[in-house]
Amino acid sequence: MSADPLKLAIAKTIRLKSIGFCIARLPQTERLFIGGSDFKVYEIDAGLEKPELIEFQGDGHQSYVMGSVVVGQQLITGGYDGQLIWWDLEQRRSVRTLAAHDRWIRKMVVSPDGKRIASVADDMLCKVWDVESGQLIHTLAGHKPETPHHFPSMLYAVAFSPDSQSIVTGDRTGHLVVWDAASGKSLAELEAPVMYTWDPKQRRHSIGGIRSVSFSADGQFVAAGGIGTIGNIDHLDGPSRVEIFNWRTQQRVHEISDPGYKGLVEQIVFPRQGNWFAFAGGDNGGFVSFYDASTGKLVHQLKMPMHVHGFVFNESEDTLYATGHDQVAVVTFKEAIPAPAAIPAEEPKPAS
Amino acid sequence: MARNDLPNRNLSQHDVSRRGFLGSAALAGAASFAANMRVLDALQTPTLAAELKRQQKSVILLWLAGGASQLETWDPKPGRITGGPFRAISTDIPSVQISELLPKMAQRMKTTAIIRSLNTRNGDHGGGTILMETGRAKEAAVDYPDLGALIARELGRADSQVPDYVSLYSETEGRHKGGAGFLGARYAPMFLSDSMIPPNIRRLDSISETDHTDRAAFQRLLAKQFQDRHPRSVVSSHGMAYERVRGLMSSETLFDVSQEPQSARDFYGPTQFQEQCLIARRLVEAGVPFVKVARAWWDSHGQNFETHRELCADLDQGMSALLDDLGQRGLLENTLVLTFGEFGRTPQINPSLGRDHFANAWSASLSGCGIKGGAVYGKTDADGHTVVEGEAKAGDLFATIFSAVGIDPTKEYQVGARPIPIVDFGCKAIPEILA
Repeated sequence: MSADPLKLAIAKTIRLKSIGFCIARLPQTERLFIGGSDFKVYEIDAGLEKPELIEFQGDGHQSYVMGSVVVGQQLITGGYDGQLIWWDLEQRRSVRTLAAHDRWIRKMVVSPDGKRIASVADDMLCKVWDVESGQLIHTLAGHKPETPHHFPSMLYAVAFSPDSQSIVTGDRTGHLVVWDAASGKSLAELEAPVMYTWDPKQRRHSIGGIRSVSFSADGQFVAAGGIGTIGNIDHLDGPSRVEIFNWRTQQRVHEISDPGYKGLVEQIVFPRQGNWFAFAGGDNGGFVSFYDASTGKLVHQLKMPMHVHGFVFNESEDTLYATGHDQVAVVTFKEAIPAPAAIPAEEPKPAS
Repeated sequence: MARNDLPNRNLSQHDVSRRGFLGSAALAGAASFAANMRVLDALQTPTLAAELKRQQKSVILLWLAGGASQLETWDPKPGRITGGPFRAISTDIPSVQISELLPKMAQRMKTTAIIRSLNTRNGDHGGGTILMETGRAKEAAVDYPDLGALIARELGRADSQVPDYVSLYSETEGRHKGGAGFLGARYAPMFLSDSMIPPNIRRLDSISETDHTDRAAFQRLLAKQFQDRHPRSVVSSHGMAYERVRGLMSSETLFDVSQEPQSARDFYGPTQFQEQCLIARRLVEAGVPFVKVARAWWDSHGQNFETHRELCADLDQGMSALLDDLGQRGLLENTLVLTFGEFGRTPQINPSLGRDHFANAWSASLSGCGIKGGAVYGKTDADGHTVVEGEAKAGDLFATIFSAVGIDPTKEYQVGARPIPIVDFGCKAIPEILA
């Protein structure tokens, strides 16, 4: 194990002026790129004593920014406006805008080889794009547009396998599809129906869905995150939930349901090293949890100062940078750190 | 976007028209009318003619129980920190935009007006419900009737054989029966909760149709003889009650959407709410003056945007189909379709991506009868926190509803020694949205 999750502690929090939905990091640095509810993209250098929010310029998003990845010296983001936008990291300006989906983009990810990005949206399509050219490579269609109860479904989650050869997607109803990234063919379908709560009587609508997916480091397993069954669906009042499948045999190998930390699991990450995985999310509060990948048992978890919508690790996988409701938090687990003091970010400054 | 077009329908197959349904009652009444020249003379007067016209009007309230978000429906704030992720879209009225979650309604704003400036101050489910059901705050000394009872009282016909007030409120959260208050049980709702078809109105299997008809005829004969000997109102009222029971017993099919061709059911959609909208049209067409269709539950403290993505799709389809169907049948000019609930939702977005209760600046819609389509009344600030123009109270909304269907909003009832105005003190109709 490259780090010790038992030493989990919040090292720093940085106040945002909006809800952070996605976060990316420039390798070998603490330069973070946050997209959020004010439709903007910001850079924050978490390594600075007084981090500043620097706003990116140019043709930006027209709605919530839901996904961000760094590829070389470019940042690529996706939003509810259906657009993918390429940004030059040094100029901090948009350089390419692509009308990618007819409906709201919920998530986008980059392949580990850095060649492709995959975006998912409420048109219920996963689209695979060439990073360099922005050309559409595949349109993966297989998720139903309606829930079993005749409401619009939503396609929330997407991830590449570590070898970039497979893609997994997860939707509102708990349906997962594993795709061959090269051919665009469906390889397997999995079901996690507990993550979709339909209230047939008192409220007559649903809540939940698969909000996060990830492949294990060896590519053998797929993890899906969301929320368990909810009694009162007015609130996120259900246990955070992760299900892990051997996707080739389509067998569920672990079911993690944590009533201690309620809410949605918004992101799952398997480290490159170490026999553990981490996930984070929340309801009105937030959490980050570490589990043993072999046994599915809890290693350690931490209450976060906000509902976490996304996080990234550093190279040594002993620090994670999380964004969420109005905050960025830096969490380390290499050594015990004194209780943090919130550091308010300075007013956003336009990119120079 | 193209309007919904109803498929070809065989009216004779399924329609229970107002004219047809009330035909027998009207024929029965015609004889007595003809025998009374004073009545015929009175029909020539503008007052009575207006009264008869008024009495053909109906109201359908689509009650958005739990409190729908005004920002995701009628008062979007795109680009603001409170605005959420959804865009505002253009409508068939160039100056009016609504949330992209209501794309079909966006093409029907020519028949719809919006009030964006309700400030009802009560953000509690219970208190807000009573306020928005009765048009005024609860008062210990007076049991106020709700909107349905008031409309039933004012637009219901004494000789009607159909219910005056039907409330379709399935077993959802926030279920509230409402009531006729001081108007009395005559105007209480037929409240359908467990089933969309009224219980206990079916003829017992042990009684044949012939027996049933014969018994009714015998009862009528005895009643008429008794009434001839005792021509008092109480006796007449007793007889009318029997007629209403017979009407209700024969109205079972009104509630049965399977009586509609599949194409009509498809036109409305498959959800319970959409089917209830179809039932509402059937009821109004048959002469029911007030129908409430409660669509719960909009109380989106968590995941507001996902909840509205689902519920707005349901509302958009059901409401647009209802307006189109009423329009194509020539009923929309006499039917007022409303949407509101007990309150709206906070502009602030909480950490669960929810919106909480909010009654200080929210919206209602009014479509059809008596309404200036495309009108927007009132304004909230850029982030939707406060009303900045045209503040409206619940009573103002009620006065507007009454005016739209021809009921004098200055009318008073005498309850004991106390005159009770039909709308709360100091409240007035909003002329800017009245046709």
